[in-house]
Amino acid sequence: MNTTRIRPIPKQDADLYPTPHSDRPALVVDNEQFVRTAFAQSPDEGFKGLFRLYYKPLCSHTLRFVYRQDVAEDIVSEVFYQFWKSGGYASIQNTYRAYLYAAVRHRAYNYLRDELTGPRAPLPLDAVMLTTADESPQTIIEYDETVQRIEKIIHELPTQCQRVFLMSRFECQKNQEIAEELGLSLKTIEAHISRALRQLRQIFLFNLLFGFVAAQGMQAGACLYL
Amino acid sequence: METVINKTVLYAYFSGTVTPVQKKLIETWLAETENRAQYYQWLHEWELAHLQTAPDWQPAFSRIETRLNTPFRVIQPDEEPTRTNWFWRRDYAWIVAASLTLLLGGWLFVDVIRYETVQTGFGETRALTLPDGSTVTLNANSSVRFNRFGFGTQLPNYLSAIQPSRRVYLTGEADFRVRHLPNHQHFVVLTPKGLNVTVLGTEFTVLGRARKTQVALRSGKVELTLAQKSEQPPLTMQPGDVVVLEPTGQFARRRIRNPEAVAAWKNHRFTLSKPLSARLPPCSKKTTVCVSPLHHPNWPPARFPARFRPITPTTY
Repeated sequence: MNTTRIRPIPKQDADLYPTPHSDRPALVVDNEQFVRTAFAQSPDEGFKGLFRLYYKPLCSHTLRFVYRQDVAEDIVSEVFYQFWKSGGYASIQNTYRAYLYAAVRHRAYNYLRDELTGPRAPLPLDAVMLTTADESPQTIIEYDETVQRIEKIIHELPTQCQRVFLMSRFECQKNQEIAEELGLSLKTIEAHISRALRQLRQIFLFNLLFGFVAAQGMQAGACLYL
Repeated sequence: METVINKTVLYAYFSGTVTPVQKKLIETWLAETENRAQYYQWLHEWELAHLQTAPDWQPAFSRIETRLNTPFRVIQPDEEPTRTNWFWRRDYAWIVAASLTLLLGGWLFVDVIRYETVQTGFGETRALTLPDGSTVTLNANSSVRFNRFGFGTQLPNYLSAIQPSRRVYLTGEADFRVRHLPNHQHFVVLTPKGLNVTVLGTEFTVLGRARKTQVALRSGKVELTLAQKSEQPPLTMQPGDVVVLEPTGQFARRRIRNPEAVAAWKNHRFTLSKPLSARLPPCSKKTTVCVSPLHHPNWPPARFPARFRPITPTTY
């Protein structure tokens, strides 16, 4: 039903395209027929349409993992960049949406895990280009559970600790700035942040213990011992 | 099964308010590839309804465009640092492993490195000269251990009072001929039962085995102390004294006429103070001397104390 509204996109009629300021954001949701037609006409235009359509929600979703605005945007941009550069858009069997969400979640999860538990061997580049078919239901569930655990942990932090953590990460403020703004010592700020990070680290230690995503682990393991 | 999963359930799932059973159903539902598209569509819708941020897509898009128009700018230098990083991390692991091994080795062999040990086997005696010029004659099945480095070096008074540098750990039996050093340094023999013999320069025999701890003094003066705290005060021995450490932790002193006899084993002799009776202990590997209670009719009747020469001197 929405296709009638969205079809003009290839003609670059931005006004008809539901923008962030649309009164009914639900209208954006659609099967991606129009993006496919755009890709068929001109990949450049199709890509732009894809970017416009998904950049914002993808960033928002990534933020649920990494809790950092700049990192979230970097991750999403990087996925788009790889997607375009490798020509992956041409071989999408499923929806673009499924691919983009899966790739972004995968990256965001790995980013947070590496940040909290130390870096691992870099994955080979082709591993980054995962398709939705590679994803097991367990992986999907695990990502969603991770998001919920993170949210729960941050929720359960003491008020001040949570505030400091969000200022430091989400708002990317320097520790000194936070200290001045809240009238606390730098040591206290650092203690708050490290406490929050320690809590978050538990998630991944738990996952490590139960050998989360065997295939992924094996891949990482193979790289480690090569 | 599919009918259970609908948008409401999935929305609840994204918000983290589903039951474990529902979660399990979603997992089963996700196993179907065509349901994935549905899943991501609903995830997308949910995300749009619960946006956490509204970044501007235009600048990000133009950044990507510039990146795409300048190929290989980022990829190439990116490759190198990760590789060196990885390499270094590996190297680092090797260094850590090597130093750990070294530390552990040092810790395990600290005694071997610090002390020199001289040991005698069954039926063997050995004379050795310590770095300070004192001589030690070890009886069979005995061992002495002393500092490999710094034996007999001059230490400040307060230090040598606590722990003199001339320290010998003795297990078994040994005869000492201690040199009196110009700086009057003490010489201490430590036995396994905690009896310490402190001397300046003299001749004496110490027996420190599991069954008995005994000191016999031939000349000079020695002081006996116990390592553990006990009510037994330090004892100063006179020449000709033999002191035995009782199991109760007390010193039992007696005088003997011929202290040389205590060290008769040095010359491969042993002395019997009274006739051997049926109480003779059976031969065992632990005993130094094995006496067979044979008597030859041609042998003259023995007078006591009697001195014997071993029947098979070749073993010495």
